[in-house]
Amino acid sequence: MKRANYIFLLLIAGLAAALVAAMLLGSERVSVFEMTEQGRAILFDIRIPRVLLGACVGASLALAGASLQALLRNPLAEPYLLGVSNGAALGTLLAFVLLGDVAGARPVMAFAGAAIATFAVYQMAKSRAGMNVERLVLSGVIITTFLSSIIVLLTSLLDAARLRGYTFWLLGDLSQATYNGFYLTLAAAAAGTIVLSSQARALNLMMIGERDAFDHGVEVGRVRIIIFGAASVLVGTSVAASGSVGYVGLIVPHIVRLVVGSDNRLVVPMSAIAGAIFVVLADTVARTAIAPRELPVGAITALIGAPLFIFLLRRN
Amino acid sequence: MFDLGFRIWDLGLIGMKCRSVEWLMIFLVLTLAGSMLVACDRQQAEIPAVAEMRTMKDDLGRDVRLPEKVTRAVSLAPSITEMVFAAGAGDRLVGVTSYCDHPTAAKNIQKIGDTQSPNIEAIIAVRPEVILVSTASQLEAFASALEGQSAAVFVLDIRGLGDVADRLRRLGQIFSSGERAELAAIEFENRIAAVKRRPRAKRPARVLLQISEADLFTIGRDSFITELIERAGGMSVTADIPGGYPKLSKETALALDPEVIILSDSPDNLKPNDALRNSAAVRSGRVYRVNADILSRPGPRLADALEQLAALLRQEPTGN
Amino acid sequence: MLEARNISVRYGPCDVLREVSLSLSEGRMVALLGPNGAGKTTLLKALNGTLPAAAGSVVLDGRPLAELSRREAARRVAVVAQENETKFPVTVLDFVLSGRFAHGGAFGWERAEDISVAERALAECDLQNYATRLMNQLSGGERQRVVLARALATEAKILLLDEPTANLDLAHQAMIFRLVRGRCDTEGFAAVVITHDLNLAAEFADELILLHRGGLFAAGAAEEVLSEANIAEVFGVRSLRDANPATGKVRITPVF
Repeated sequence: MKRANYIFLLLIAGLAAALVAAMLLGSERVSVFEMTEQGRAILFDIRIPRVLLGACVGASLALAGASLQALLRNPLAEPYLLGVSNGAALGTLLAFVLLGDVAGARPVMAFAGAAIATFAVYQMAKSRAGMNVERLVLSGVIITTFLSSIIVLLTSLLDAARLRGYTFWLLGDLSQATYNGFYLTLAAAAAGTIVLSSQARALNLMMIGERDAFDHGVEVGRVRIIIFGAASVLVGTSVAASGSVGYVGLIVPHIVRLVVGSDNRLVVPMSAIAGAIFVVLADTVARTAIAPRELPVGAITALIGAPLFIFLLRRN
Repeated sequence: MFDLGFRIWDLGLIGMKCRSVEWLMIFLVLTLAGSMLVACDRQQAEIPAVAEMRTMKDDLGRDVRLPEKVTRAVSLAPSITEMVFAAGAGDRLVGVTSYCDHPTAAKNIQKIGDTQSPNIEAIIAVRPEVILVSTASQLEAFASALEGQSAAVFVLDIRGLGDVADRLRRLGQIFSSGERAELAAIEFENRIAAVKRRPRAKRPARVLLQISEADLFTIGRDSFITELIERAGGMSVTADIPGGYPKLSKETALALDPEVIILSDSPDNLKPNDALRNSAAVRSGRVYRVNADILSRPGPRLADALEQLAALLRQEPTGN
Repeated sequence: MLEARNISVRYGPCDVLREVSLSLSEGRMVALLGPNGAGKTTLLKALNGTLPAAAGSVVLDGRPLAELSRREAARRVAVVAQENETKFPVTVLDFVLSGRFAHGGAFGWERAEDISVAERALAECDLQNYATRLMNQLSGGERQRVVLARALATEAKILLLDEPTANLDLAHQAMIFRLVRGRCDTEGFAAVVITHDLNLAAEFADELILLHRGGLFAAGAAEEVLSEANIAEVFGVRSLRDANPATGKVRITPVF
């Protein structure tokens, strides 16, 4: 376990460094030593909540990805693949259309959307003979495309001005970060880390095979519900705060596994930290690359994630 | 980047969606063009082609063959519709987009779809002699697909204030309504000149034009609104930012500290972004709403926009 | 220790297993025989609760199996299932340690004791130097021994083995049967073994159960169950029966 401890320390140091770097960089220069009132406003009202929110979103998505992959015994499983992200996006869109700016409506509806999508996939995949993974993944694809078509339909019906805010958000965008959004995703990410870590050893067995896990004392059905529930909360709060930031749940656990192996007791918490680092850095690029203009962070994570993913896929 | 009917700045955002729509359009146009050929041949045979033809250069520099007397035209942008009406030829329009709502008479003209996805069948059904399109409108592909039809496609590219009078005169030639077009052009020029003659502040006010509140879209170097603000006696604080309608960093918005904020009026743009809450503009109460249509449609109403902006920028700070 | 009373199992409308009873007591080794599709694996799955019985009941140490938590059941019954492949790289030691799940707490990191149990199980299965190898890089036979090692690592006294020797060479086949037999004789284990090798069954098992079309066809000592008539009826194969000159146990030779 010694090596794992070093990696943990390294990751925590990396996260600290990424947070500090992200807080020092931005479209405007802010001197920490000669703090003006304006500099303080930029740093504390705009930059810091955004950086912190990015960290929590990254941790949440990586956690959801890592645990769903182990549960479904498929290293390619992702919140997006199962329709969880799209469920959350549709929930947020509906909150946006029906409830407007009602406080808390977006995250609640996003969670509801994620949970309904997950439940629908689960029901579709379940058969008399239990659940097989191919069926589950296929159901996920069906739900995803179905929800996508509803989203396209709704955005086509919305008038252009309302659509505009939504389109950018759909790509994954952290620019609307607030402290309240940060607190909410922080609570979800922290609870998610604890709940999922508590199931990590069971996930180790589920990863080998569901029947196998059952034979060795895992309450398979209960673990499945806990994982799906936790993933819905994590993805729901993230999507409500920042849209669909893609590839985090896929790439981060993959890289963590390359370094520490497949033990979920390491993979789950380490993915959380590594996911936070990844999104914080990606968003720093999104904020500064073409400053003072901005890019959606989802574009950056996809830009890094897609080629890296193809590389990893070919290596295996 | 020009007027597509709804707010111009929406374009970049829906770009991705447009891409696929565009390809779909090309596909549709090609298939339709093929299937319509027979019908159109017959039409041409029925209407004896005795009308005399002439050639005019459009804004892409293409030689477009037009009938000597144009009686049926379609406009594929609200700004063009406004221009045609101003040039005294509104009665020749037989088809406009669903966004064309000005002047009031335009509302009663046959709708042929919206600017992004006009309905080719509907256009052919109104038997236009000329189809007027705006360049940037990704409609070039669509335009060239219609090239084989009996209708001519004329590109009218209005890049800002300076183009309006000239294009009004051009429309006067196309529709043989030269006198009325000339009057409209002169009136437009006079109104612009009148604003220029007005006394103005020694130092131009620093203006931020906010297009949407939450994600803070604004105008950049390439937007004609930047010039509009300058002519109105202000200066756009985002004039140096590349592009037409960039998404602005909130940090930069805060640091720019504009003295005046202009909100282009729309349901998602009712107040300044949170990052601007301590700006000079908000503190002094110099936050104004301007009708988004007159701001964003490069047509005759740019004179209205200019006058309104000039009046707003002359106002004294009222706030606390 | 483990008793099945008239259990039936259904997949959809059809009975895969009809009113089969089986009783396993300490020190006994029972061989489950029968052609493919006879219901052997189904019976094994019903015995540890993987498949619920549609009728009848399974009783484990005096309590109905259905009332036990998975953890309790897993501490008492270990299963060696037919192959299971994972797409994730898992080391042999980690795999064997997963057998300790039912002994650990929720957040569960292994204690030193867990590791020593796992290492002993590996050694017993002739896998001393395999701890850091990856499961997906092993041969089928090696993997099968690792799965058995994991079953031993659970320290469950009841072993349910589904064709544990299918991919093994002669030496390792004998090793595994000897190992299970030894545990039954000296440590109070009990085992149910599915095998297609009638002679191995006759050699090692105390009791043979012959399944045919989901029902119990014959049960008892090798001499009674492995008659030429039974084999002809159940397997559709003519055979000769004599005694193994070395051990004196029943020996079946198919005649093709």
